[in-house]
Amino acid sequence: MRAYPKGLLAVAVLLLAVVLCGGALAAEGIKVGVLLPLTGAQAKFGEIEKRSFEMAAEELNAKGGVNGKKIELLFEDDTGKPDVGRSGVEKLISREQVSVITGGYSSSVTAAAAPVAQQFKVPFVICTGSADDITEKGYDYIFRVNPAASEYPQSVESFLKEVAKDVKTVALLYENSSFGQSSSKSFEEDAKRLGLKIVVKEGYQAGAIDFKPILTKVKAANPDMIYMVSYVMDASLLMRQSKELRINPKMFVGGGAGFTLPEFAKSAGDASDGVFSATLWIETLPFPGAKEYFNKFQKKYGSETEYHGAEAYAAMYVVADALKRAKSITPKDVRDALVKTDMKTAFGPVKFISYGKKTQQNKLDTYLVQWQKGELEAVWPKGVATKKYIYPTPPWDKRK
Amino acid sequence: MDVFLQTIVSGILKGGLYALIGIGMTLIMGVMGIINLAHGQLMMLAMYVTFVLNTMGVDPYFSLFVAMPLLFLLGVAIQKFLLNPLIKADTILPENQVLMTVGIGMALTEIVRFTFSSDYKYITTTYSNQTFFLGNISFSMALTIAFGIAIAFTVAMFFFLIKTDLGRSIRATAQDKDAATLMGVNTGRITVITFGLGSGLVAAAGCLLAPVYYIFPDLGGPFTAKAFIITILGGLGSTVGAIFGGVTLGLAESMGATYFGMEYEDIIGLTIFVLVLLFLPGGFKRLTKI
Repeated sequence: MRAYPKGLLAVAVLLLAVVLCGGALAAEGIKVGVLLPLTGAQAKFGEIEKRSFEMAAEELNAKGGVNGKKIELLFEDDTGKPDVGRSGVEKLISREQVSVITGGYSSSVTAAAAPVAQQFKVPFVICTGSADDITEKGYDYIFRVNPAASEYPQSVESFLKEVAKDVKTVALLYENSSFGQSSSKSFEEDAKRLGLKIVVKEGYQAGAIDFKPILTKVKAANPDMIYMVSYVMDASLLMRQSKELRINPKMFVGGGAGFTLPEFAKSAGDASDGVFSATLWIETLPFPGAKEYFNKFQKKYGSETEYHGAEAYAAMYVVADALKRAKSITPKDVRDALVKTDMKTAFGPVKFISYGKKTQQNKLDTYLVQWQKGELEAVWPKGVATKKYIYPTPPWDKRK
Repeated sequence: MDVFLQTIVSGILKGGLYALIGIGMTLIMGVMGIINLAHGQLMMLAMYVTFVLNTMGVDPYFSLFVAMPLLFLLGVAIQKFLLNPLIKADTILPENQVLMTVGIGMALTEIVRFTFSSDYKYITTTYSNQTFFLGNISFSMALTIAFGIAIAFTVAMFFFLIKTDLGRSIRATAQDKDAATLMGVNTGRITVITFGLGSGLVAAAGCLLAPVYYIFPDLGGPFTAKAFIITILGGLGSTVGAIFGGVTLGLAESMGATYFGMEYEDIIGLTIFVLVLLFLPGGFKRLTKI
């Protein structure tokens, strides 16, 4: 009587083992882990990136995948929280046994997840998380496709040096969040280096109705340039109310975040005209596949994509390229292949180099874009410009 | 001087809108003795109504005539079917009505999120960005209109409460529910109407706010908090108090933003809240007696 259940158990275990092995054998694809915020406040961007990863993987698989094997994406939701991101990476490595991970949206989640990948020695190709120190710790399994946060305003800096030489005073408005504070701090350092005087520096709480009090102060100080670090709807209200108050600096500059999104121009209307913004990518850049990616995304999903999506799309190609070249699909070999990456993607050329304190970091130019009649045009550097910049911005009451 | 005047003007204009948000809450609080913690969420709902109508080409100010009756009916339904049954059950403390409103607020937010997604919606009208100038001081067209309508509603509300039968019944219920019942006032019906009125008024605020702000499912919470501060400032159940409370909060926020820094906007509102509770419990109502 007693032996019988034991025997049954043994059979069950055997069956289970067979099923599991069978499952492993049946999935001949190459597993690639992707860490993204699919729920929570950052879900909108997580969604854009997820779709871009999926689109790139589909394209690659249609062309025969990686040496005949299909790429299989395993998404892990970090919900925008660092601890969830850490356990997500752990799960991908220990349970799913992936040999390479990509994704990484917010800086804080990416910074928390990177050490886990490093510890398990599984290569992590970051596509978005931009805090500088992520690639400054000498991790040899961490690669980053996108530029570091401190490099975002490079294009603004070169524009100020070469064109807007008469800008001497700046007003700095920023969202009172960790992103806004760190961005405004790095801009302050840039301003100091360029010899600009900061005449007004004001933080604000996201979601305010009325920005007139701080804008009135800005108007009284009459700066040559207004630099704003804002998310999309605050950005729109700031510009609408600047127009209401007839604040006329030589240029309005958005320091990333909300100013390049289509919603900004649509909700701000003509108040968005002439606003500059630093960006990492725009579909009109002369990179192979950039415009194609943009159009295909729009056609396939019926919604807009922007630089975050391009980062994800390019990261997928970088990973696939490394997998193709790797001697075997083990984390070690994939890592060695990634080091030798030298390719052109829709997001720009990718090559992991070391400079300054950074290691295995891709170095890219950033660009200055400007809203002109409701269209986002690349205006700087000249080599990639789709339209000539309008500088100085005409005063509100002289506009048609 | 310009900076100071501009600050005052923006503060008062914003205060008018705040007053309208506050009146609805103060009415409900005065009559029923509970805080309606779904107040901001009701406004959010009205803003979505405005948004939907706007996609069909209806001007936000005309949607007042749709959003207000709709929200009035919703308010009536909430009071009749969700809050009043709680009073009838003896085992449930009346305070639980407050918890019920929290739940209603959450449900409204999530239903809206489910229907419209979390994306920001916005209404752009020809007057959204328009301004006129008096000297060097700019007046936002939309906020000025909103201020005018808010004041009109408030005055109308005031006379409604003072002069009409229904208004007197509402005030009687607010003062002493048992006595009002003994005098033949159908207090059950009054609470239902009051909740409807409060919801309708905050719907008006939503319609007026929609063209100058943007719309997303989570905007209810912060406005519930603002309405609560205004109600405490003005005194529970006081219409005139709500106007004072709203304008005071608007002014304080503007002045604080100009002279302390805008990042402290919420701190300023809450500091005033605490100060009023400490030194003027009962709010401005104690000073005006209305």
